[in-house]
Amino acid sequence: MATHEKVDVVIVGAGASGSVYAAVLAQAGKKVVVLEQGPDWQLKDLISSDFWGRRIKPASGPFLLEGKNPFGYVYQAGWGVGGAALHYFANFPRLLPNDFKIKSEHGRALDWPISYDDVAPYYDKVADDIGVSGDAKAEEKWRPAGKPYPMPPMKTFRHGEVWLKGFESVGIRMVPAAVGMNSTEFKGRAACIYDGWCHVGCPIGALANPIVTYLADAKKAGAEVRARSTVTRVLTNPQGTKAVGVEYYDDKKERQVQEATVVVLAAWSAQIPRLLLNSATDKHPKGLANSSGLVGKYMMAHFASGTWALFDEDVQNHMGTTGAQFMSYDRYGKTSHQGAFGSSFITAGSALKTSDLAGIPNARVDLFGADLHAFMQRAKRGLTRIGAFGEELPNIENRIELASDKDEFGMPFARIVHSFDQDAVALWNANFEEGLKIARATGAKESWSGRGNMPTIHLMGGTIMGTAAGNSVVNSYGQTHEVPNLYVAGPGIFPTGGASNPTYTIFALSLRGAEQLASKWSTVAG
Amino acid sequence: MTSIERRAFVKGAALGALAFTVGGVEILLTPQEARSRGVPFRLLNAMEAETIEALGETLVPGARQAGIAHFIDQQLSVPAEEALLEARIMNVRPPYANFYRAALGAIDRASQNLNGRRFADLSTVEQRDFVSLMRQNKIEGWQGPAGGFVYFLLRSDAVDVVYGTVEGYESLGIPYMPHIAPEKRW
Repeated sequence: MATHEKVDVVIVGAGASGSVYAAVLAQAGKKVVVLEQGPDWQLKDLISSDFWGRRIKPASGPFLLEGKNPFGYVYQAGWGVGGAALHYFANFPRLLPNDFKIKSEHGRALDWPISYDDVAPYYDKVADDIGVSGDAKAEEKWRPAGKPYPMPPMKTFRHGEVWLKGFESVGIRMVPAAVGMNSTEFKGRAACIYDGWCHVGCPIGALANPIVTYLADAKKAGAEVRARSTVTRVLTNPQGTKAVGVEYYDDKKERQVQEATVVVLAAWSAQIPRLLLNSATDKHPKGLANSSGLVGKYMMAHFASGTWALFDEDVQNHMGTTGAQFMSYDRYGKTSHQGAFGSSFITAGSALKTSDLAGIPNARVDLFGADLHAFMQRAKRGLTRIGAFGEELPNIENRIELASDKDEFGMPFARIVHSFDQDAVALWNANFEEGLKIARATGAKESWSGRGNMPTIHLMGGTIMGTAAGNSVVNSYGQTHEVPNLYVAGPGIFPTGGASNPTYTIFALSLRGAEQLASKWSTVAG
Repeated sequence: MTSIERRAFVKGAALGALAFTVGGVEILLTPQEARSRGVPFRLLNAMEAETIEALGETLVPGARQAGIAHFIDQQLSVPAEEALLEARIMNVRPPYANFYRAALGAIDRASQNLNGRRFADLSTVEQRDFVSLMRQNKIEGWQGPAGGFVYFLLRSDAVDVVYGTVEGYESLGIPYMPHIAPEKRW
């Protein structure tokens, strides 16, 4: 075992949230080490192929999937430097003010300890830092005004435009989607060329992945990124009052210790509870930062109701981006759909490919053989889809807990127990019904719902923020209530998930937390 | 710089075709080339390969010739972190060979029970009817991973080799438009 020279900050995870902390703290003059479990991916590794694109996702992991709706995570998980944000779709909707006060306004779920106004300046800062394209003014029918986005909206294509008439027919206003992509050159990074390969990683830097944004800034400021480093425990002092570093296994599977003044856990939202629970000591017998028993609780997911339509015309569905061309918050009110509860976020227009989970063949999973081939011939030019993401409310029964099986480093696996409740199912169904109405009003030749197993998208929660140790794991900055020099970053700290794709909020909250840490360094570091 | 020029500028893949063993030496071949050269299977036995080819062809016409059995065999033979079957993103726990062996065994057992013959020996119509029942989890006495899931994953493998390649795009008339192209048409 080797013990490395003590640094100011050790960050676990080189994805969206970890990269922000690394950049802010390194730029503040702190000595930063980032430990990342997977490989050190470079832009040149991002091959335009659904098959090769699976390389940047994990080959399963130490998680057992249980519950009525097991959380199928690999497709959306990250593995390696850049994390899941290396292959995310870069849809950048914000949470809205109504997401922060559900308990106060509806007597359900949880309130955030902060409001939209606390986060909004960080949405604007992130946009300026990494580049967002969109029409902020158009969004302001749903949210308070903020700064304009630094780039105009992205180009649109027929496979998005053909839906607009249908949306109008049900009173849904669509606006240009806010995306973390370059509609023009931005800070030396190329503009998008609309090839539709975003989901396997953008090697030209037009999409704001961590490698070309915050992580690049962090490295430039002196941060060190150690790939193939699997963290297994957070280490604390004998009194249990401070984190003193982390234990990890390197690329040769040898045990290492990295001592640090501050520890930031920015791994996947299921991995962070696993780490905290595995870091139990006699001073923290239930796991670190877990006197409330809430570590691993209130796991949440989004679900999507997809609607497909086939048009006679060539809708250019091979062009564009994997993310959306248009978006709407017109069903974002928590009671927008009668008989259901929760927000819905609507998108239209994503490029289609010929294989993989979201590819053209899976628009009709029931077809095979000659029928599938005939469908491919029709769909290759005329197929398009819309989606409505739905909100799942926090439920304490949806949880992470340690299992008895252990991984190669002797660390217990974790069970992810997840079931959707009736509100979520009702919302899912309501969005399918409305999707079909929209599709029929477009004049499409055929339309159908993309029903299958209810999908689980964007794992959130497990280390939620709140006002005190009795009702949460961290405060609004991600600082754990019980161990002040231990921070948690990422969607794990969301107490509710809204219906918006989470990465923009992850960046914004991480920036808020990192700046607080830098400004309060002497207090936090003790 | 135009988009087309930029695509050309960034072209140049680090990874390409799959590594197959020929005469004791690893060479890069597409699964189709591996099949046409008669490259020996690493893990699959002859009956398993036959079942995969028959099933693949039933699911997506052209999968047999595209080398679906060699594709799956090669992928099952490499370490899990290098294996890129759709099973990976559908949360199948490695080693993936366990899933495939269980699935293929279930298919042939069920085929024997239903028709008195292995799946590969059924007529085209019988194969189609069998797959239709398997997709809907309607085969009585099925023993193995859920039939609907087996259908989904093997169909995805067949889609990968038929439609997911550069040649597959060309055959459909869809521009591939890579930023970084796969070096070989695996």
